[in-house]
Amino acid sequence: MPTNPLSPFKILPSDAGLPDLRLFHLADSALPIGALAHSFGLESLASHELLKGSGIQNFLCGYLEEAGFVEAVFCREAFRLAALGPRDFFSARWLELNDLLSARKPARESRAGSASLGQNFLNAVAAVGDFPLLRDALQASRESASLIHHSTAFGLASAALAFDEGRAVLAYLHQSAASLVSACQRLMPLGQTEATRILWNLKPTMIEAANRSAACALDDASSFMPLLDWGAMEHPALATRLFVS
Amino acid sequence: MAYATAAKCEPISADPAQVRVEASLDLAFELVASIGQTILAASRQDPPLKVIRAFPLADGAALIHLHNVSGGLLGGDQLSLRAQIGAGARVQITTTGATRIYRPRKEAAATTQVNEIIVAEGALLEYLPDAIIPYAGCRFSQRTTIQLAAGAGLFWWEVLAPGREARAEIFEYERVHLKMDIAALGRPIAAERVRLEPQRRAMDSFARLGPYRTWATFYICREGLDAKTWLALERELREVAEKTTRPGDALWGFSTLVSHGLAVRCVARHGRDALPGLHMLWRAAKLRLYNREAVPPRKVG
Repeated sequence: MPTNPLSPFKILPSDAGLPDLRLFHLADSALPIGALAHSFGLESLASHELLKGSGIQNFLCGYLEEAGFVEAVFCREAFRLAALGPRDFFSARWLELNDLLSARKPARESRAGSASLGQNFLNAVAAVGDFPLLRDALQASRESASLIHHSTAFGLASAALAFDEGRAVLAYLHQSAASLVSACQRLMPLGQTEATRILWNLKPTMIEAANRSAACALDDASSFMPLLDWGAMEHPALATRLFVS
Repeated sequence: MAYATAAKCEPISADPAQVRVEASLDLAFELVASIGQTILAASRQDPPLKVIRAFPLADGAALIHLHNVSGGLLGGDQLSLRAQIGAGARVQITTTGATRIYRPRKEAAATTQVNEIIVAEGALLEYLPDAIIPYAGCRFSQRTTIQLAAGAGLFWWEVLAPGREARAEIFEYERVHLKMDIAALGRPIAAERVRLEPQRRAMDSFARLGPYRTWATFYICREGLDAKTWLALERELREVAEKTTRPGDALWGFSTLVSHGLAVRCVARHGRDALPGLHMLWRAAKLRLYNREAVPPRKVG
């Protein structure tokens, strides 16, 4: 590794940190794909006082164990699709994967929110380079009017960018949790220090969910979050809303 | 009568050495067009699962009661229900009482139930069972696959109790694992994968049930209806629930599926808060979608 004669520190080769930087970029919850507009049902729970500041960490821990885990399984599956050979076979499996995830999301607004983020995410990545795989995925989804979900888009793009699978899944979970913490900050009294502490404390749960997802078949990926389902379903009926979902 | 190909469904595995009972109930219903009446055209029944007879309902549907003559499901039992609702037929299936999942012997395998349902063109299935009650220590896995053909309709609910509430046996079961898939014209429209392990993951977390104990799901589907119809029904059912639920007893959620249907979710403090609500929503939805009065099973009164 070259050394700068003026500094005792090692200088990285120009592309050594590129995958990490790209992953940080795409997993930043501030990536302009619309994530800040969605609470995925949290707004209803806060509005009905079923979620309060003191319970946020416990709630998000449960979220990562349940819904976050399922999204991690789908993220991995999409990542692994990249290895499928013929275009037709890939496209069919890609559509099937997203249809399966759509069916798993009973609440319309959360389903549409996930699809909006997924579509925007894949478009954003496809626009920064030449990725035939992502072009094929976008085209197949457009032609069949199929939704593209955020977790599957993240997994597929991560494979196209040659990220490490496990790191990609962790990054996906981290940005999901960060987005939900950010939503909580806007919904209830939650200061920046406390928000940082919550996200910090959730990291072991993210790792546990990511590890479990590595060996879990799609068919076995289970989630039980009935209150959040209710919150997401009832969101359209809220009189005043900050969020789209 | 010949059966069509059954729904593809991988059985949930269990160690054969520990299996206690393997029983299946295969039912085929047909519409007799000349009299406008649905009949139970063929059945194959292995005890303890039993259907005594099909009752003709005033609207031409056939009503059957599912009996488990052993009174409940025992550890290691492997049961299956296959029902084929023929073109244009209308069928109502209910149970004679709650489905009790008994405490198993220590070495017993999980209790499993597989439901494979085919609803043919223009047919309607109304599946309106009593609650599932998992006893302390039980391990229960259920897999349900439902295929809807063109114009086929479905009312399907499930109610999961926390245990034997009357004796304060709450969330003492070991595991309940529920898998459900509904497809319309071969495309998935609803899927559930639920694994409840109260000893490992707290049910009273607000990420799960919070202060509620009973969980119910209700799918209302009719292939071919447009999104506008489902949105209107969603609003209508929400109003029905608001008018009929005492605040604090239960929460009802409604949402259109990705297509061809609507999902209803309920969390309730007690089972008694969920079932009457389900009946009211069923009546309202049937009137809207079929312009017919729902005919409740006689046990409801």
